[in-house]
Amino acid sequence: MLAFLARRIIIAIPTVILISIFVFSLQHLLPGDPILVMAGEERDPDVIAALREKYRFNDPIPMQYLAWAGNALQGDLGISLRTQQPVLELIGEKLPVTIQLAVMALIIAILIGIPAGVLSAYKKGTWIDWVANIIALSGLSVPNFWLGIMLILLVSVKLGWLPASGYMPLTEDPLQSIRVMIMPAFVLGTAIAATLMRHTRSAMLSVLKSDYVRTARAKGLKERVVLIKHALRNALVPVVTVITLLFGELLAGAVLTEQIFTIPGFGKLVVDAVFNRDYAVVQGIVLCTGIAFIFMNILADAAYRILNPRMSQ
Amino acid sequence: MTESQPLLDVSGLSIRVAGANRPLVDDVSFTLNSGETLCIVGESGCGKSLTALALMGLLDGTPLRIEGGTAMFQETDLLSASQSTLRSLRGDRIAMIFQEPMTSLNPALRIGDQIAEAVREHRGVSHEAGRARALEMLERVRIPAAESRLDEYPHQLSGGMRQRVMIAMALANDPALLIADEPTTALDVTIQAQILDLMRNLGRETGAAQIMITHDLGVVAEMADKVAVMYAGRIVEAGSTEQIFDDPQHPYTLGLMSSMPSLSGKSQRLVTIPGTVPSPQDMPIGCRFAARCPFADAACDAPPPLVDLNDGHRVACWHAPIENAGIAPGWKETA
Repeated sequence: MLAFLARRIIIAIPTVILISIFVFSLQHLLPGDPILVMAGEERDPDVIAALREKYRFNDPIPMQYLAWAGNALQGDLGISLRTQQPVLELIGEKLPVTIQLAVMALIIAILIGIPAGVLSAYKKGTWIDWVANIIALSGLSVPNFWLGIMLILLVSVKLGWLPASGYMPLTEDPLQSIRVMIMPAFVLGTAIAATLMRHTRSAMLSVLKSDYVRTARAKGLKERVVLIKHALRNALVPVVTVITLLFGELLAGAVLTEQIFTIPGFGKLVVDAVFNRDYAVVQGIVLCTGIAFIFMNILADAAYRILNPRMSQ
Repeated sequence: MTESQPLLDVSGLSIRVAGANRPLVDDVSFTLNSGETLCIVGESGCGKSLTALALMGLLDGTPLRIEGGTAMFQETDLLSASQSTLRSLRGDRIAMIFQEPMTSLNPALRIGDQIAEAVREHRGVSHEAGRARALEMLERVRIPAAESRLDEYPHQLSGGMRQRVMIAMALANDPALLIADEPTTALDVTIQAQILDLMRNLGRETGAAQIMITHDLGVVAEMADKVAVMYAGRIVEAGSTEQIFDDPQHPYTLGLMSSMPSLSGKSQRLVTIPGTVPSPQDMPIGCRFAARCPFADAACDAPPPLVDLNDGHRVACWHAPIENAGIAPGWKETA
């Protein structure tokens, strides 16, 4: 397994380089000039020229890339053109918030989606299956922002059970941190739970028809063991793929969810950086997201190998 | 257990697909004593496998319903018992081997664990004891280097080895009854002989009664003490292996015998039975073989009862014993 992971990480390096080239070109492809934004209202030509020199905007583009990539390798992603803070520091501040939100949302989605999928496949055609499908369809159809606002109105404003917004770092007060984050994570997780439920259901339906499930029953095993040990384990392979693909949706959803619950996360950072043409920050964020995706894929591949021993050959 | 009480007594078993007008398995009855091997023979779709699955209580969750009959196994009626009663019997007192060794083992679990879990479930033994039993069983089914095989996955084994694992799994709790549904059909011919040999020896060693479902008369000749010939959901002829092979009485059994090549040297033409099995939708009310039978006449419009000709040799044909019926052209000449 370790050798496999090492191999996967080495294979990922060219991908990371490609991402970095793409990320770097981004600033030259986007319309608008950040120097003009920084130079302010007066647009003094001397100031503009000095700024161009300072940010190496006069160098040939390949040189600019090499300088940027060299710095990035040393953990220097540049300085925010707007706040003058190092980009890495900004990301380091905001990323954990979004990771916490995304991980909690994913856990909620898995805890709801997979058992619901198993149950509705097992009880196919009964009222349980119908109810699960209707809830899943609603989960897919209801927009995040609407569900978020409704939950704030009900749980925070009317019942006063949970805070409507804010953030508490996990390291300072774990319990409070989870309390604050649980509602946004639920909102973000529902759509994903619905997708997971549908995929788990269809994978379980095909696995439940398989010969080895019949063998498991012929051994006199309890239905719980047949379902979880024999069927679910095999049905999870396609579900893991779906989880990996949904990770992108999760990050996109996080941007919106953070806005609704005013959470100081990655999403707000992205939106602010794009609107202000804060290229260094945009680049840093896209690079981090790209690497996160590669990491998720490596994790998924590792999960396949655990679930399906044939892939270890 | 007394002489008069067989290990398994199936009587009047009928199975129907929800909504169909005729049952798929119709009034099937047979008995089996401890240590005996019964072969149920017939072509695909005749209801052999359904009969086996019904006895195992594995028809739940399918559109098939047991419509009637009883199957007494050691004081329990398998057809009316609750799922929890059946679950405690399955894999313990009654075990089953399936046709497809390639797909019948769970691809994600180690074979040692797949054998041991049946032992742990029914015997409540520890993990180590289950593993020890799994190893013992792998050795009994003559898997070489059994110890190292325990931790392998099914895809690392050949088809014959996988079927040996299935047999090890089925016999792990010393069942009184082993049901084998076409256990050699999916295997190479040389491996088939090895597996049959193994099953016969293990059957003798453990004293387990066996029901072997097959369409292969060679397997029947090799294994059976008793034979039941099924056609289109009904038993058309049943008796001891000698009775069936030496003195077949049902026209369908005759057809089966004549369609089997012989190695005696004389070149004989193989006979095929004309026509096909009627589909469940237009199953005749009378004899289901009539449309393909050279002896058929007006009498065959009524369902023939399964009558005892002599000494347990039962036949469902209005024209039995066949000697009285006159020989139809092209039938007995090669038999």
